[in-house]
Amino acid sequence: MSTAHSKAAKAFLKNQTYAKWHDATFWSVRSKRDNMAYDLDEWEQLREKASAIKRHTITHLDEYLDQFATNAEKNGCIVHWAKDANEFNEIVYGILKNHNVKKMVKSKSMLTEECEMNPYLEAHGIEVVETDLGERIIQLKGQKPSHIVMPAIHLNHDDVGELFEEKLGSEKGNHDPTYLTYVARLSLRNEFLTADAGMTGANFGIAETGDIVVCTNEGNADMSTSCPKLHIAAIGLEKIIPNYDCLAVFQRMLCRAGTGQPTTTYTSHFRKARPTANPMHIVLVDNGRSEWIGNPEHWEALKCIRCGSCMNTCPVYRRSGGYSYSYFIPGPIGINLGMLRDEQQHSGNVSACTLCLSCQTVCPVKVNLGDQIYQWRQQLDEFGTANPQKKLMCKGMSMVYGSKGVYNLGTALAHWANIIPSPLMNCGLNPWAEGHKMMKFPKKPFHKLIKDLEK
Amino acid sequence: MSNKEDILKKYRANVREKYDMPDLSDIKGVTYPEPLVQFVKMSEKVGGQVIEVDRERDVNVLIRQLFPEAKEIASNLPEITIATRNPDTVGRARDLNGTDIGIIRGQFGVAENACIWIPQTMKEKAVMFISENLVILLPKSQIVNNMHEAYKRIQFDETYDGYGTFISGPSKTADIAQVLVMGAQAARSATILLLPE
Repeated sequence: MSTAHSKAAKAFLKNQTYAKWHDATFWSVRSKRDNMAYDLDEWEQLREKASAIKRHTITHLDEYLDQFATNAEKNGCIVHWAKDANEFNEIVYGILKNHNVKKMVKSKSMLTEECEMNPYLEAHGIEVVETDLGERIIQLKGQKPSHIVMPAIHLNHDDVGELFEEKLGSEKGNHDPTYLTYVARLSLRNEFLTADAGMTGANFGIAETGDIVVCTNEGNADMSTSCPKLHIAAIGLEKIIPNYDCLAVFQRMLCRAGTGQPTTTYTSHFRKARPTANPMHIVLVDNGRSEWIGNPEHWEALKCIRCGSCMNTCPVYRRSGGYSYSYFIPGPIGINLGMLRDEQQHSGNVSACTLCLSCQTVCPVKVNLGDQIYQWRQQLDEFGTANPQKKLMCKGMSMVYGSKGVYNLGTALAHWANIIPSPLMNCGLNPWAEGHKMMKFPKKPFHKLIKDLEK
Repeated sequence: MSNKEDILKKYRANVREKYDMPDLSDIKGVTYPEPLVQFVKMSEKVGGQVIEVDRERDVNVLIRQLFPEAKEIASNLPEITIATRNPDTVGRARDLNGTDIGIIRGQFGVAENACIWIPQTMKEKAVMFISENLVILLPKSQIVNNMHEAYKRIQFDETYDGYGTFISGPSKTADIAQVLVMGAQAARSATILLLPE
């Protein structure tokens, strides 16, 4: 009866020391977020405003996109529109080919993960170098991110140390994070200086000015665009917001909610290319968003600003890790975005939720994440992905609970199950016994107990 | 290839209910009795170093004292006489690599998070990131409380009008086992010199 998620989580939980560290680490990030939130009297007001701004913006996005593109073009940028991942990859490759680019450095972008851009470009002979340290680590390791803000959180310093010994020639046995960060710095510095193009994602696009805003702690987006002659910015449609007044609200919340810092080190505004570079290209990507806005129950998932706070707080994510989810974005927001993408493929994730609603309590833009997961669960039968064993059980339960006679007979007889020898009960055939011990049934059912008391 | 109109048309057709823009004028952004004190506190918290400079003091001498080992100093600021490189005149941006100290000017600071608004005012912005150590000259009277105030006053340079950034402390990362390390891909230290008007 296990779902795809719970099966995958088993592998994660094999290393109990690591699993405990993972849980505690994310709980400490959540606590840092709480400190940031409690520190500001206006925090809840900001959440309310942020949610309302997003609700307004994504329901008027056609107007804001038009304004953004018009202003970006006025600034001298070249704006492209991609309806899906395939078109996005083709557009990016086209730009790179026109500029004869052999190597591109890039800062972190969940959109390029979504479109699987790196493998596409590599297949076309372009070297792509990730420059966010976490992304670089998993790129060298040939893995995918396990968290949207902390992509290499599934690796410890020994894993990274051994990887760098092999790939970057670091000192044998020196697994000190400060040293390893320095090794990566030197190696990436060389990449920044020799790349022909730099790509960034975007945390926000500002309709009123045409700015692309990128927030990083490492400064890698700025380094990626400071030396190469070409800057391409990749941005999902829903990242456009109206103006700087709105940006102030989101800038204040993004990092406080995501990592518990008062701000990222760099909040960079790119309006046009450097005077010594070629014109900047901006690629606006739909890839499903224009359909999702029409989904009556799930359109608000488009409000997400990708801070990661919902996964940091999620008791299931903390105890199962990013790789337990089938979609490339894990945690509560990933469950929902995965279902919007392909409900057949990703419905195994909807069980990764206790409906505690901690996610929507911390979400800075008030996406109703847990409520949405509940809604998806109600639709599993329609998608043909409901578990047949559970369906059968539900039919059985309807019969038992639907008839007073059958119910009373059942509870009266249940205690006979207690005498079934334990190995027969606590075996693989009884799904209840997985992870729990079989309960003992009372001799006197509850109804009978109450009736006797009333006598 | 898709065009803008196809995508916008599809999006427009699928929007169900439209919501109004909320009023943002009633946001009660945090304020401080002494914004400068808070700015200094936050700058140190995010790993920066803050030094108040007296009117009589020459910043060139001060920077030399702070970084006695530094060889290559990059700046295009007229009052900086110790610069060995100029981001306005380097052949290529990458020629700024190997800069020990980059010296730039900030327009104003933000008390709540130690951000400093730095519009690009040089030909190659690389100087802000490629330098091992960053020194930011900031007039101490120019501190706002929060980002709402900050975003009401940011401006780009007239000549280099394509880029501006808020910087708060040195480049940092915790991507290896969540251990905080200063100096990821950009400046490894950030020193803010608070100047009198």
